[in-house]
Amino acid sequence: MASPALCGSRQSPEGLPGDPSSQEEDEDCDPEDPVSDSGSYSSTSTDYDDLEPEWLDSVQKNGELFYLELSEDEEESLLPETPTVNHVRFSENEIIIEEDDYKEGKKYEPKLKRFTKILKSKKLLPKRYNKKNSNASGPVSILKHQSNQKTGIVQQRYKDVNVYVNPKKLTVTKAKEQLKLLEVLIGIIHQTKWSWRRSGKQGSGEKLVVHGLLPGGSAMKSGQILIGDVLVAVNDVDVTSENIERVLSCIPGPMQVKLTFENAYAVKKQTTQPRQKKAQSNTSDLIKLPWGEEDKDTQQNILNTPHIVMYLTLQLDSETSKEEQEILYHYPVSDASQKLKSVRGIFLTLCDMLENVTGTQVTSSSLLLNGKQIHVAYWKESDKLLLIGLPAEEVPLPQLRNMIEDVAQTLKFMYGSLDSAFCQVENVPRLDHFFSLFFQRALQPAKLHSSASPSTQHYDASSAVLLDSLPGVRWLTLPQDIKVELDTALSDLEAADFAELSEDYYDMRRLYTILGSSLFYKGYLICSHLPKDDLIDIAVYCRHYCLLPLAAKQRIGQLVIWREVFPRHHLQPSADSNTEVFQEPEGRYFLLIVGLRHYMLCVLLEAGGCASKAVGNPGPDCIYVDQVKTTLHQLEGVDSRINERLASSATPCLSCADWFLAGSHEKLDNLTTSPILSRLQGTTKVATSPTCRRALFGDYSLKTRKPSPSRSGGSDSGCEGGEGVGLSPHTTASQGSDGSEESGALLKVTKKKSALPNPFHSGNLKKDLSEKELDIYNTMKLTSGPENTLFHYVALETVQGIFITPTHEEVAQLSGSIHPQLIKNFHQCCLSIRAVFQQTLVEEKKKALNGGEHSGSTNSVSSLNPVKEHGVLFECSPENWTDQRKTPPVMAYWVVGRLFLHPRLQELYVCFHDSVTEIAIEMAFKLFFGLTL
Amino acid sequence: MGEEGTEGTVHLLCLAASSGVPLFCRSSRGGAPARQQLPFSVIGSLNGVHMFGQNLEVQLNSAKTEDTTVVWKSFHDSITLIVLSSEEGTSELRLERLLQMVFGAMVLLVGLEELTNIRNVERLKKELRASYRLIDSFLGDSELIGDLTQCVDCVVPPEGSLLQEALSGFAEAAGTAFVSLVVSGRVVAATESWWRLGMPEAVLLPWLVGSLPPQAARDYPVYLPHGSPTLLERWWQPLLDPLRACLPLGSRALPAGFPLHTDILGLLLLHLELKRCLFTVEPSGDQEPSSEQRRRLFRSFYTLVTATHFPPEAGQPEEKAEEVVHRAQVPRACYLVSGAEEPGTGWRLVALQLGPRRLLLLLSAQSPTHGLRGLATHTLHALTPLL
Repeated sequence: MASPALCGSRQSPEGLPGDPSSQEEDEDCDPEDPVSDSGSYSSTSTDYDDLEPEWLDSVQKNGELFYLELSEDEEESLLPETPTVNHVRFSENEIIIEEDDYKEGKKYEPKLKRFTKILKSKKLLPKRYNKKNSNASGPVSILKHQSNQKTGIVQQRYKDVNVYVNPKKLTVTKAKEQLKLLEVLIGIIHQTKWSWRRSGKQGSGEKLVVHGLLPGGSAMKSGQILIGDVLVAVNDVDVTSENIERVLSCIPGPMQVKLTFENAYAVKKQTTQPRQKKAQSNTSDLIKLPWGEEDKDTQQNILNTPHIVMYLTLQLDSETSKEEQEILYHYPVSDASQKLKSVRGIFLTLCDMLENVTGTQVTSSSLLLNGKQIHVAYWKESDKLLLIGLPAEEVPLPQLRNMIEDVAQTLKFMYGSLDSAFCQVENVPRLDHFFSLFFQRALQPAKLHSSASPSTQHYDASSAVLLDSLPGVRWLTLPQDIKVELDTALSDLEAADFAELSEDYYDMRRLYTILGSSLFYKGYLICSHLPKDDLIDIAVYCRHYCLLPLAAKQRIGQLVIWREVFPRHHLQPSADSNTEVFQEPEGRYFLLIVGLRHYMLCVLLEAGGCASKAVGNPGPDCIYVDQVKTTLHQLEGVDSRINERLASSATPCLSCADWFLAGSHEKLDNLTTSPILSRLQGTTKVATSPTCRRALFGDYSLKTRKPSPSRSGGSDSGCEGGEGVGLSPHTTASQGSDGSEESGALLKVTKKKSALPNPFHSGNLKKDLSEKELDIYNTMKLTSGPENTLFHYVALETVQGIFITPTHEEVAQLSGSIHPQLIKNFHQCCLSIRAVFQQTLVEEKKKALNGGEHSGSTNSVSSLNPVKEHGVLFECSPENWTDQRKTPPVMAYWVVGRLFLHPRLQELYVCFHDSVTEIAIEMAFKLFFGLTL
Repeated sequence: MGEEGTEGTVHLLCLAASSGVPLFCRSSRGGAPARQQLPFSVIGSLNGVHMFGQNLEVQLNSAKTEDTTVVWKSFHDSITLIVLSSEEGTSELRLERLLQMVFGAMVLLVGLEELTNIRNVERLKKELRASYRLIDSFLGDSELIGDLTQCVDCVVPPEGSLLQEALSGFAEAAGTAFVSLVVSGRVVAATESWWRLGMPEAVLLPWLVGSLPPQAARDYPVYLPHGSPTLLERWWQPLLDPLRACLPLGSRALPAGFPLHTDILGLLLLHLELKRCLFTVEPSGDQEPSSEQRRRLFRSFYTLVTATHFPPEAGQPEEKAEEVVHRAQVPRACYLVSGAEEPGTGWRLVALQLGPRRLLLLLSAQSPTHGLRGLATHTLHALTPLL
């Protein structure tokens, strides 16, 4: 696998500055060589002074790369539970290591690199490790063996097994000096004499045959190492019994180590299609990753649910009447899905006939299969038909319609067209992976986030129904100063005037123009310089491959994704034939995603146009990867401030549904004066800013501080009740008796945290004023009336392709029994409301196409469109109400959706308590204000 | 109305399930019966896909294109009904109920025995002609809404008790328990036994009367689809002199002078247990939109509310059982603001569920959004004694 990959990466134009292959042609492998150290590489990329990046081996033949390396703690957690004692010790060590890495900043380099360096310095590393020329015959490297395997000599097989190795464990138990590292570190037992007798080999070193596996060792945990296998290399360094201990002793710290084994009992069936197999094994890792370990169960559950995706051709070749010839692709192959496949005749007929009769294309149909209702969505393009069928119970029809559109769009983004995605044999395993992920997301949304905390997991799973199909990316509003910093960093990257890339420096065209980039942090978009369509294309791609939750919950050690993409924004033939209008160059586009810890930076590159034309299937270019990585390193300092923003109290303030339930022993009408609520209100205000307290809610906070005699009794009991249902910590904390001091201190904190940027007051002169205003702004509740009655919201800014909704942290603060249900119901209801809005948008589009001539036609009056606002009132009560004598308390809340067509397309969904009448337009104004990319 | 092609067309196909022979096809366009028919090949393939699925134990229920909805339904493994509708605001719910009504109408006039045991297709075709008028009334625009709500359209007479007495007397004299007084398709008063009639005949009978040509008295043989589908029943539609006062009530449904807020342009009150409804679009009749449009708005809104938000009414056992269990969040009210961005244009619709009653209101644009629920609650309380 590796050797074709290398070829792929070398297909970039020769003499390219910074291309590792060309650099190494004329240099000695001496690491001290000044040319290789500083001359050819920019000062920022010291990581790559003498080595190819570790992802290079993973580059596929077509230039694509999907390389993911989790940070150490995540890797450890992905392995089955280790004995607790070790684990604790390990994490202690881990913390220290982390701190080192961060403080020393530049010293931080990928572990493998350090390892290799050490090896080199000890002269352990053979020179050929640099892979000077992959066609060279001499070296007995693993690569060569693999190419043998491809050419058909399938006597010996090699397998790579990644195991987690933590030498720090040794230092703890270093009592014995004579430890065998192979046993202790990796858990492989090798008995020298025995193997000698057997193999009869002697001399420079004998084969490292695995004679046994240590219980609980990394090798056993991996499940891939069998007794009888022969260990031939560690991280591509050839090993024998002679040098193994030395090699292993060079491992500096906890890390993943690649062990290469010669497999004694080769599995025969793998011989048929080595390339596809490889791709699949690659991809199955990726599936496992976001889902953790309970993969098998999940998959089995999913297999029992009828679901299908098919790509059918409508043009049948009547002469060659092969069985199933109209099926160009289908997934999965399972009994439950077989039936859906067998009735494809229905879909084909409907597609053909209904279009003839009605003049419009069929969009969906619904069937009853074994008593289960299945929706099938249709997507027709030219003479091909894409079908996705899913049970109605799991996926409501409006969601399915959005999903098929997403799938079609993503595939077009990745492959250019549906035809090129489905009709090429080598894509089949990739598509299998794609749809495997797709169906897992659709059918088991909770499993996807299994690594997260329960509240986050629930929030993600219940919001996915709506958020996954919104034409936008989840946006995190940040204070102005951070925004400026991020903008600058991205602009610097996009300018691409680093030395090697300037045309003057090498007197040649640069490889790619950077069209734009967008930065994600923990799955939130925090900065984007991409056109809306590109941004959404990329976001949908990331969503499909579960990259966003990955970055949110797991610290990424290193992620590098590279692939050619086909962004619709650039590839659409421009409607305007006017030559003065900017014409898109006939270029090719590449997507580069680099992830580091919680950051993910997506860069869209253009070849052709200003840059040189791309030839063949270029792999990722080290320079560009380096530069993106450097940008991320630069932003290391910012993440603490972003985390601060995430941890700060919600803006706009949110309430938890359970608080309202507790107070509902009184009548609903009393709610507005309920002591708990005013208490809550008061405390929230204290937590935010005294300035505005005086200005806006003075009397209330005074009352809560010193309860007037008339209401003191109720206030006390209410307070207890409030605490009983779990107030968020920061509100209870500020209820102390010396409120003024506390609030003063809190003010300083909150001033820094001012989160909603005010675009009109960014100037320095007005800084003081604007900060005050911001404070008022922050505390401004979205809802009217004295209480904060807002439970949840989603605001979609369609033009910019972003939406905002409470963060995971904000939702996690509002724990309760009712609240999670409310959030789930909110998203489901919003999906229905949005389906109504989408109908309106379709009608509006039609109207616009007709030139608005019929705008006054009476016909349109008879339908509900154009709908601009739609709300539903719900009542809910606690689930397990045990008290038989009393009726359960009831809480009523609205879910309201509002569609804005003018001045620009916006959608707002809010959920608030019934006690106060709200006007959606006003809430929208507050939410959308200042919401700009 | 708009130009050709923009209006909704409805095609209703009835086929013998076993042979696939079309029994009849009815069409309507823009709310009026139309002659235009689907080509035979299309009818064949529409039936074909359904049959193909059935052979493989996959039941095709519905399909949608960008503007058309198709619903298949087979009854007693003998009759297949297919409807294809491109009316605005059409939905599966509406079409499924339409098919139920159509089959009910066929049973009412031909008898279930004839339909489940088809011996002579040609004779059945001829017999079914008698039901065309009733069936067409379902396809076109109707003043009634019982076909969609599956509740009997009623009116509230000014002197209810007086009428009720007279009716009971008449029933005794005529020697039948099933008597009702119907004004333009709406029930003014009926005997206890009449109200015990099941669905869909309770809706179908007044509807049938409404679809007949006006006359003083009528004697019409019918089969009851639900109660006794094979029993021939005779009944009379009497017009008693002192009851002439009821005649103008017809489309108003409410007694004259009933206080309604001036913003209300129409109302639909359903009693889901009694299966009766009051429906009127008369109030402020001089304002836009026209009463025909108002009726369509109500149909669309009712469909939206019932299909997506409110739990389905009792009487649909297959959906209900599980729904109730995991619905901890019960929808109580819902509103919709429609129309262009400019203030003062468009209209508002609000729905409210309280106990067995469900109220839908159409309101003019000047009614403030945040006051919708209050207004609806108030109106519902005022209407409660009536139904």
